[in-house]
Amino acid sequence: MPPRLDELTMARRAASELQPGQVAALGSGLPARVAEVVPNGAAIQLLSDGGALGYSLTGGADSAGGPSLCGPNGLPVALEKGGSVVGMADWAALLRGGHVEVAIVQPARVSAAGDLLGWTTAATPGLFAPGRTVDLAAGGCKVIAMLPHIGSDNSPNIVAESIPVADGRSCVSMVITDIAVIRVEDGVLVLSEVAPGWRFDDIAAMTGAPLSPSGDLKEMAPNLEHLKTERPGKVFPDGPSAITDLQDGATVMIDGFGGPGGMAHHLLVSLRDRGTKGLTIISNTIGIARIVNFGTPAGKLAIDHSILVENGQVAKAIATYPVSPSASRPSTFELAYRRGEVELELVPQGTLAERLRAGGAGIYAFYTPTGAGTLIAEGKESRVIDGKEYILEQALTADFCLIRGHKADTLGNVVYKGTSRNFNAVMAPSARVTIVEVDEVVEAGELAPELIVTPGIYVDRIVIRPEGFSPYE
Amino acid sequence: MLQGKLYGSPQAAVADIPDGSTILVAGYAGYGIAEGLLAALLELGSKDLTIIYRDGPYSDMGLGALPSIEKLVSSGRVTKLISPIPYSPGSGSDIEECWQAGQLEIEIVPQGILVERLRAGGAGIGGVFLPTAIGTRFESGRERRTFPQGEAVLELPLKADYALIKVAEVDTLGNSIYHGSGRNWAPVMAMAARITIAEAERIVEPGELDPEAIISPGIFVNRIVAAT
Repeated sequence: MPPRLDELTMARRAASELQPGQVAALGSGLPARVAEVVPNGAAIQLLSDGGALGYSLTGGADSAGGPSLCGPNGLPVALEKGGSVVGMADWAALLRGGHVEVAIVQPARVSAAGDLLGWTTAATPGLFAPGRTVDLAAGGCKVIAMLPHIGSDNSPNIVAESIPVADGRSCVSMVITDIAVIRVEDGVLVLSEVAPGWRFDDIAAMTGAPLSPSGDLKEMAPNLEHLKTERPGKVFPDGPSAITDLQDGATVMIDGFGGPGGMAHHLLVSLRDRGTKGLTIISNTIGIARIVNFGTPAGKLAIDHSILVENGQVAKAIATYPVSPSASRPSTFELAYRRGEVELELVPQGTLAERLRAGGAGIYAFYTPTGAGTLIAEGKESRVIDGKEYILEQALTADFCLIRGHKADTLGNVVYKGTSRNFNAVMAPSARVTIVEVDEVVEAGELAPELIVTPGIYVDRIVIRPEGFSPYE
Repeated sequence: MLQGKLYGSPQAAVADIPDGSTILVAGYAGYGIAEGLLAALLELGSKDLTIIYRDGPYSDMGLGALPSIEKLVSSGRVTKLISPIPYSPGSGSDIEECWQAGQLEIEIVPQGILVERLRAGGAGIGGVFLPTAIGTRFESGRERRTFPQGEAVLELPLKADYALIKVAEVDTLGNSIYHGSGRNWAPVMAMAARITIAEAERIVEPGELDPEAIISPGIFVNRIVAAT
């Protein structure tokens, strides 16, 4: 038999599957070695559950002296320019929320249906340590399994029969072994690449499930040249150019907190000028700053959601503060609501933040005590858990999210200033397209990685608030 | 010596941990572990403990992660472990031996589910529907429900009596920042425990930490002790 591939060659083959701009979450074992072969400055980001987003192996010592950040195998790693530090809850949310394009795992076994068995040992029947594997298998948009083609007892690691007690169900789409690359296509295993010198028949004989040769079966030749490219740019010249695909009927998250601080005013004005109709707006207030003073200079009006309502663009609001605190000074939205022109879903503030977080973090619904036994509970499931009453609230997502940051780097990493972190940070992960309006854009690596609040993985487009722009008109 | 949240020694900071406590131990693969507090807990002798932590000793990495937990187990003080990776299978750890001898209960929870259950506990959430466990061995015995996004399983909150965390810097009000992987579990665990004890590399006065850089507000940190 020809020689089998070494681990680093397998890692190179897995890395060549990545595309510029993607984020890949790595498990321990063979997948951790992918970090060793990705070229420096490659246009991808690696994610470790050790808390590194955008890392490589070069270095590993931080300014405090001594390694403080580690890869999935526990070994020290260093952040690339534009990398950031994330906690375990963030890691899980990135995966579950569908923000990670590729997850690479090393299971003990893979089935023809794409099921996987995390890992287990004969020495410890019944106890096993799937660790992160379950999260990676459930979370990656594309799951690649790396494993030796056969076990140490010469039994196949790729099996036909379904795995009854699985750590991932129908999740694997590609298997990279030390002799082959196999695609899992609707329960059929297709051999697409062979290690140098290996023939289809030999590989099929070592596979525990029927194998079909691909029409373009070829010899494995990992190539990482395509990763040595510029990342897709995220910086747009201005607000209008960043929202050209925001269509009628879209759901848009846009917020700040009450007053003029912390709202993407330039993007808001751009949206008004675009005239998009039938919008559902998700926000904390739906236009309060315009009627409450909040320090607005004399003779001026604050720019807030009211400008969209006045322009007849809003069909519905999902909000916490839809009305003015003063009955004699109703908000634009309030007047439109009384005229029956807009719909309203009233959401308590904390529940709104939690529903937004759920939307971005892949949590489908949750039980909260807030609102139990009040009008808010009407039409919602109520449930007593551990002696306390809760109501079921659903996740919120949107087509677009317009957020206000202080600074962003070119990868979209964002830091906030004061109150603007309030709803902007929790909204950023929850929309299909997130656009941030900032005061300043800096190069990747200029923001302190430990200070980044919204990692660039959540931010699709960046615009700079025009110089001299006023949040009042 | 007792001044506000500051404690003079790890022993003083853990002195009231009673038998039967549930204790969260932060850290990841040997990073960000409050070794001093764990050593003091071992010395204290509390028993019937339930310990929730991320990973046990990794013999193949030589990191010696959480040797103190292994010692707590082997000295018969732990009733139950809840962890994604309680030990490295086949490593010959004392945890493995005690479990096989039936002296210890182990509940394995995938780490993304575990961290969300702790967050729910800390944030007053009654339960979360997560898709992670669907179709896996971790779905068994749990409530499944269909949502517009797909199938999900109800995961219930986890809370604890104590959390032992390691922080890079803390002010005397308990505001904390972390270094690197030290952030991994500590902020969530700090929220989920009734009493959180922080072992700090550096203790500063209020106002010295950049307010925008604080990860765990002091409200979540009850006791502070200097790392030695």
